[in-house]
Amino acid sequence: MCSFFCPFMSHGSVVGVLEAVILRSFGPEGGQVLFTRDTGQAMLSRSGTHILRALHLEHPLARMVVECVWKHSTVTGDGSKTFILLLASLLRKIHTTASREPHVSHSYNSLEAAEAATARHLADKLLAFALKELDDLIAMEVAPHGRCVSWEDFTAEMHSPANHYVQKLLASFFHMRLGYVHCAFISELTCELLNHWKCIDNLPYFALQFLKDNFPAIHTPVSGFPITSSRLIEGQVIHRDFATPYPQTDHQPIKAVVFTGYLQPRLLNTGDVLEVGCGGTEERSIVDFSAWTERSLQCLIANLQSLGVSVLLSVVKQSAAVLALATQAEMCFVDCVSEDELSLFAQLSGATPISDCWRIEPEHIAELTFCRPILLGPHRYENMPFFSLTCKATHLHAKNYLGTIHTSHLQTLVADVFIIRVKVKPYSLIICGSGEGQTDQYACAFQDAIRMLFTTWEPIPATGTTAAKRTVQSDKRTSSYTHVLTDSSTCTSSNLNPLHKCVLQPGCIMPAGGTFEFLLHHALLKLSHSCSASNDTNIGVPVSRLLASALLSVPKQIYSHSPGQFLQTRTRHNAIFTQDMGLESVSCKYELLLAVLQCVTSLLRVDTILRTHTALHTQSLADTSWESTEDEAEN
Amino acid sequence: MSRLDKKSPSLCTDRPLDNTDISNKLNLLRQLLKSCFGPTARLKQVHNNIGGHVVTTSSSSVLLPVISSSQPFINLIKASILNHVSRFSDCGLFAAIFCLALIEQAKRSGLRGNVSIRVNKHLLALCSGYLQGEDCGCKVKLDFCSSHNLITLARSIVSSKPACVLTEQETLHISKLAVQAFLLTVPCSSPGTVSLGKIVTVPVEGYSVLTSVVFPGLLVDMPDGLCLTKFDYLSNPIRMVLFSTSLAGDLSDLGDGMIEVHAGVDTESQILDQLLELGKQVVDDEVKLFVCQKVVHPVLQQYLRSHGIIVVERVGITIMEPLTQLTDAQPVATLHTKIPSKAYGKVRELSMKQFGSKTMLHLQPLGESVICTLLLCHRNETMLSELKVVCQKTEHVLRLTLREPSALLGGGCTETHLAAYVRHKSKNEAPEAASVLGCSQTEYLLGVEVFCRSLEFVAKALQHDGGNSLIDLTHAHHWTLPADVLEEHMEDSLGFCGCGLVESSPSRKWTFLDTKYTEFLPLALVGDSRVQPRVLDSFTAKLSALQVATETANLALDVRYIIQDVN
Repeated sequence: MCSFFCPFMSHGSVVGVLEAVILRSFGPEGGQVLFTRDTGQAMLSRSGTHILRALHLEHPLARMVVECVWKHSTVTGDGSKTFILLLASLLRKIHTTASREPHVSHSYNSLEAAEAATARHLADKLLAFALKELDDLIAMEVAPHGRCVSWEDFTAEMHSPANHYVQKLLASFFHMRLGYVHCAFISELTCELLNHWKCIDNLPYFALQFLKDNFPAIHTPVSGFPITSSRLIEGQVIHRDFATPYPQTDHQPIKAVVFTGYLQPRLLNTGDVLEVGCGGTEERSIVDFSAWTERSLQCLIANLQSLGVSVLLSVVKQSAAVLALATQAEMCFVDCVSEDELSLFAQLSGATPISDCWRIEPEHIAELTFCRPILLGPHRYENMPFFSLTCKATHLHAKNYLGTIHTSHLQTLVADVFIIRVKVKPYSLIICGSGEGQTDQYACAFQDAIRMLFTTWEPIPATGTTAAKRTVQSDKRTSSYTHVLTDSSTCTSSNLNPLHKCVLQPGCIMPAGGTFEFLLHHALLKLSHSCSASNDTNIGVPVSRLLASALLSVPKQIYSHSPGQFLQTRTRHNAIFTQDMGLESVSCKYELLLAVLQCVTSLLRVDTILRTHTALHTQSLADTSWESTEDEAEN
Repeated sequence: MSRLDKKSPSLCTDRPLDNTDISNKLNLLRQLLKSCFGPTARLKQVHNNIGGHVVTTSSSSVLLPVISSSQPFINLIKASILNHVSRFSDCGLFAAIFCLALIEQAKRSGLRGNVSIRVNKHLLALCSGYLQGEDCGCKVKLDFCSSHNLITLARSIVSSKPACVLTEQETLHISKLAVQAFLLTVPCSSPGTVSLGKIVTVPVEGYSVLTSVVFPGLLVDMPDGLCLTKFDYLSNPIRMVLFSTSLAGDLSDLGDGMIEVHAGVDTESQILDQLLELGKQVVDDEVKLFVCQKVVHPVLQQYLRSHGIIVVERVGITIMEPLTQLTDAQPVATLHTKIPSKAYGKVRELSMKQFGSKTMLHLQPLGESVICTLLLCHRNETMLSELKVVCQKTEHVLRLTLREPSALLGGGCTETHLAAYVRHKSKNEAPEAASVLGCSQTEYLLGVEVFCRSLEFVAKALQHDGGNSLIDLTHAHHWTLPADVLEEHMEDSLGFCGCGLVESSPSRKWTFLDTKYTEFLPLALVGDSRVQPRVLDSFTAKLSALQVATETANLALDVRYIIQDVN
């Protein structure tokens, strides 16, 4: 009970449909896409990934493409719309080339099969070429037209030229993601955020990684206010109201502890049985048990009081007795705090959460400079109350801290200890918007902007081999990828070449508006000319020309409303560094090209799609059956 | 399992603003909201299909949540306005009508989407800059030395909600009460950060509005009436205790396990003994008032009452916070430990108040307190619930004035004034602005016209009886000409402008709002402090409404594609 068909002819049409949707929000003239979730919640987006995922596509090839886009954008945070454009254009070019010169060396049953084989071959060669030559080509021919902004420059001063470049880069990013109107404001805010979280003499990598990992706890969405009310506030915001009245104390510093469990001892766990009045010598009533829990709680509170603790944070909801006793001891209590926020708190303060209430050591106590309720939106009862904390991260408990971390979290470990050591002053981001949909959109854009910067300043590995490894990270389809590596003999040489150095510097930026595409287009054409001139039968020659022409589709779309400007920009390609059109990151573009080529290869590798007809029991079953078909086809 | 279904592909709409279905729905929504605007608004009755409550209202905070649309485009606009209302309580209809008018006008003008968005943004910045500036001609500074302007502000809000069905005298009474209650919540002498108190509203049905009253202190429901004479012997101040846990004899917080009770063990009486032990301490400590958030065991109640203690149970979580503020008591939640003496609170005076079927205990604070109770009366339930909403909004708007002590002229005058200002300003700087915004001058001026027309549309929406809207050519205030007046007798029948600040005189010139007039710089009224405005709008709420409406309209104009998940 299965039907099958050849997917070769449908690539173009499937990707074409996706392209048509994406074009509505592509480029400076693009707009928003409104979509509703199955919960009825409305969302707004200009992010290609969000739009594609909202379509709920059924076609297996389309789903595969969406998956590739999603994986690419979770790493780089950028380029999902260009991904589809480039993919569509590359597929078109491959088709026309393949139909002109079907593979002659093999015998095929039909012309179609022959074309498919040629296309597949072309795609393989393209990927091999890109993996081998592209980074060098970009470093030699394209990057010199851009600027390299080092992180040290950026963090040096608020109004330094480097900072200006980063702001321009962010502004272009937000222009494409949120629209023109607020891009300047939001990019300024992002720069300010980065400046507050920056750390002295270090690599950008860690600060950005830290922001990327902790973004959910750092930002606070507030709806009902204009976007221009968005701002940074000092300290960390905990998104819960005080469970006990907040006493106004001026003691400095404020001591705080974090609890992971219940303060009042839970006598009976599930499954326990308490026997009352079993006729022993001692008459034990139930009242004695409950009196015992209360007494132990009192001792605990007294202990905390003697340590000078005045702020208690807890993951779980505590009993009324706990809250009442804390109030009487003039401590303030915040319960039901999310794990994300507490982990950020622990990282900033260096204090370990308490799991055993009877052993409170100095390393459990965090010192805060202030702790106060803040009102974001006038209704305190509207489950939007907050209070903010600022930690004096002066106390170094790094030694204790190191002990608690497992080796598997090595990367975060480095970042954490590092943050504590430099006494970073934490700032939280308040994102305002007129509705929940908007604040979500802004938050996503912020997060992706940080990802984009992270990709831009990602440190360059020392050898060429690791450059290849980086691309493996960026796309998890390792199976198809390694397959290509072993398949093409040329790649092995590139991997083993000791002279092969990746010279693409981190932080390289380019004028936006198609400059990168134009420059690479020319570089590729130049390469193909020189190769044909030296009469070298390198396989890179036809594919580089193919790639060059496919690249032009991006600027063509950017200037779709004014063809004159397209020609103008094309001729001006190697003019001086200009910022009129905004800036974009070269390493993001490079990652994008590789991801697109990998997607093309895996698309064209699919030979047959089997439609199996299973009685639809569960969604997951349907999914697995689909994936297995794809895997079979790929291998 | 059988309920699981295959996910169906999403429904897509390309260019939603060109879609006739969406345009019709937007039009309908605009008409509906327009008819609810202002003191002479037409009321809307809301009732559901299963015979629930019938609500009569004209207020956006009640009306918008019940309008449900299958169209996400409508819901997007609705959600934005509702969020604004939940933050600022006022100017919801203004924001909605302005936003819908902007969308409609921009679409009709045929401007490119991106151009209208940029122009709108630019003009919004121009408007908010003008409104926040010192020389703004439509702003009034609020003076807290006199309650006059505060009452005017409160009255504008109360009178803009005709569903309360109030007479002129009743409106004034409610406005005065609202201001009085608000002033009671502001602490007189506390240095540093000021924390405002709370108004507890108690609705009573079946009485005239004029019997509504404000009490300092707190009124708590007393289910079983107590004799009034009982309080006479109470010494001053009265000691009280406040429990936040249940005193009904249950033991919570023991865990999820099972308890096995052997025969012959009377757990209940053991717990009750413990409760009575607690009661004994309370009696020994000379507590006269015993308040519990939850239920009190009847035996304990009886014991306490027999010792002359007043017991109030089930006060609920909402009253707990004002109670602790009023009495300085710390809630107690432990049964086995001695109540520390600092946990007790104090009350100056207790008295009984009787309102219809309600018997209430009035707690008066020992010192100055920021807690007060607003007792609201009205003839029937529907009007009472609307009145309660209005009073809460008024309280909120008055609180906003503490941060920004200004108000804007009401009655449509701010809108017409602002429109005239924007026209004048943008005419003068058209070449520079156009080049900054990246459009042609014609496009820019067309965008300005769209924005100003939309502002004037809101002013015109105040008129529901077929009258005409006019604007004077000196101050650019808004005037209303009744439908049955001929144009020759215009001067005599105009009287005052919308906000009541400008009086009609033979030297004044008017023009109809729809007609084109040569742009001019609207003058601010100077000097004359004898004339006070009669209608005022909240400054903070209106400024934010203007921003939210423009942002929402910009967003709506920017939407190019709709993907609807139909699962």
